Amino acid sequence: MIENFKISLKEIDKINLINQEDKNYRIENLEFFNKKGFPTKKEEDWKFSDLREIFSKNFKKIDINDAYPEENNFRLIQEFDHNYILLINGRLIRSDFKFEDKNKIKITGYKEENFLREKSNNPLICLNNALSNEGYNLVVEKDYKFEKVLVIYNLFNEDLSEKILNNKNKIIVNKNSELHTIEYTINRSKNKFFNNTYENVILYENAKFKNICIQAGRSEGYFHKFLNGSIKSDSKYSSFIFSSGLKFNKQDIQIDLEGKNSDCEIKSALFLNKEDHQEIKTIVNHLVPNCKSFQKIKSVLDSNAKGVYQGKIFVKDIAQKTNAYQLSKALLISENSEFDSKPELEIYADDVKCSHGSTSGNVDENSVHYLMTRGLTKKEATQLLINGFLKEIISEIKSDTIKKFVENKLEFQVYGY
Amino acid sequence: MLEIINLKASINKRDILNGLNLKINPGEVHAIMGPNGSGKSTLANILSGKNGYKITGDLKYKGENLKDIPVEQRAQKGIFLAFQYPLEIPGVNTNNFLKTSLNTIRKAKGEKEIDTLAFLKLVKEKAKELGIDEKILSRQLNVGFSGGEKKKNEILQMKILDPNLVILDETDSGLDIDALKTIADGVNSSRSKDKSFLVITHYQRLLDYIKPDFVHVLSSGKIIKSGSRELALELEKKGYKKIN
Repeated sequence: MIENFKISLKEIDKINLINQEDKNYRIENLEFFNKKGFPTKKEEDWKFSDLREIFSKNFKKIDINDAYPEENNFRLIQEFDHNYILLINGRLIRSDFKFEDKNKIKITGYKEENFLREKSNNPLICLNNALSNEGYNLVVEKDYKFEKVLVIYNLFNEDLSEKILNNKNKIIVNKNSELHTIEYTINRSKNKFFNNTYENVILYENAKFKNICIQAGRSEGYFHKFLNGSIKSDSKYSSFIFSSGLKFNKQDIQIDLEGKNSDCEIKSALFLNKEDHQEIKTIVNHLVPNCKSFQKIKSVLDSNAKGVYQGKIFVKDIAQKTNAYQLSKALLISENSEFDSKPELEIYADDVKCSHGSTSGNVDENSVHYLMTRGLTKKEATQLLINGFLKEIISEIKSDTIKKFVENKLEFQVYGY
Repeated sequence: MLEIINLKASINKRDILNGLNLKINPGEVHAIMGPNGSGKSTLANILSGKNGYKITGDLKYKGENLKDIPVEQRAQKGIFLAFQYPLEIPGVNTNNFLKTSLNTIRKAKGEKEIDTLAFLKLVKEKAKELGIDEKILSRQLNVGFSGGEKKKNEILQMKILDPNLVILDETDSGLDIDALKTIADGVNSSRSKDKSFLVITHYQRLLDYIKPDFVHVLSSGKIIKSGSRELALELEKKGYKKIN
């Protein structure tokens, strides 16, 4: 039991298979978390998302989850062929790589030794370091291109009332290899829970990794994910984020472009409604010359929803010929919705191309009128415009079947209100 | 079809229409000509139901008080405005939009919704008549369309939605002579005894192709002269100033 959101050191003893060194590291992290607590808006990284306030409003207590029951009514996506791994409450339950050469893929559950014992001053990472006990490790061997997409079903059980789940995942794509994943969150919990994930992605030379993150249903989940990507030369990282319907979601993404000619893309289309609170925070570090980064975040906010985008581009002094772009566009449908944007450039090289922009506004009244003169009601016209606004991002998905799948999920959100 | 009695309109305390009277019977084509700032587009906007105007006077459409009819219902009841500046709607596929629009109107009329196959056949036929490249119909609505394509797209919508009262707001502006002829042909082939047109234009040129039954001169928010097609020719010769 966690009282006042302080966590007893006894919780660490419940984690299996840890040696003394590991235990000390966890204790150190937990003590740091207990000292700092959940972050508040006084901290720059959390200025628009006061997690402590959100927590104290919504949770009376929080316990560590220890149940991973498999559900009977789990169904695979029918719309397209795919490999899959199934996670239940973060634990790797099973995997199926029937379309692939199995010798080229390694998948295992959480492994302590896969992660460096780094120090962090982010309380949520420390909390994860202290308590993480589930997750997966995926390695794609060199010179292998996935035939079909890999769907990562991230399923959360019905009975996660006031539980916290800490997961650590690692994805390694070796030299000259390609991986395409869809991280598909299925949320069955009718009660509040908090999922705190740490993910490490490493792309070796000339590797490609594309992930589409879909979270489409309404749920009582509170999510935080820290993703650290290490991108070597000539490799490309690409991420699409289509998540909404969550009470709280913060994706904290740090991409290190470590090798020449490496490339990073982050695109997002978000429809936030009701009391949703979602933040995308990115840091793209251009550490060597000739790298590219591209970020486009589009958000639609209705009711009392709040959206946040904090995007930072850092260009090291030696990172000449950097090409970095960042754009955030928000549409506010309701007067009570809010969008905060903080774009940041920190550039120490002189021969670079960096641009950023941020706009937020209402739905264009003249466009609504135009559509209404063609017989559409105000609501229908607005929905058509919202859908059109977000579709621009989806239209960049190359596979038609996957594009259609994502489109349907999004339309369900937009037309459901 | 349409009866306007002593229509006065202002926006931001600025008077634009100052007692306009106009009656259009079924099957008639009326042209309204007037210089810049005479209130032509305001009239079109008010008929389409655009808000922001303070209005007094009577507006009757098929005997109903038009002021009580919300924008989308005006369209559903058969009023169509071809915009002077059609809006670009990013992310909305032209064909999907046309189909949604048509089905909304059919539903309102108590008709069955059109299926995709029948719809595509209809669009193909109408697009061909107007010399519209079918490819643009799978693009985003008006996005990246040329001036001529946008105007043709308005006429295409008119043809598909099959309204009773059509208001053409400076449909001729920015068109080359070939596009002008195509659009005029599109309008002329839609003329019938139960359809009325209100053609708003600066220039006589369009009226060489769409021959109106009546021509009205609008100046300072009022119709100051009405007559037959010859009035348009007279205007072209003398200019608006001398008509007063």
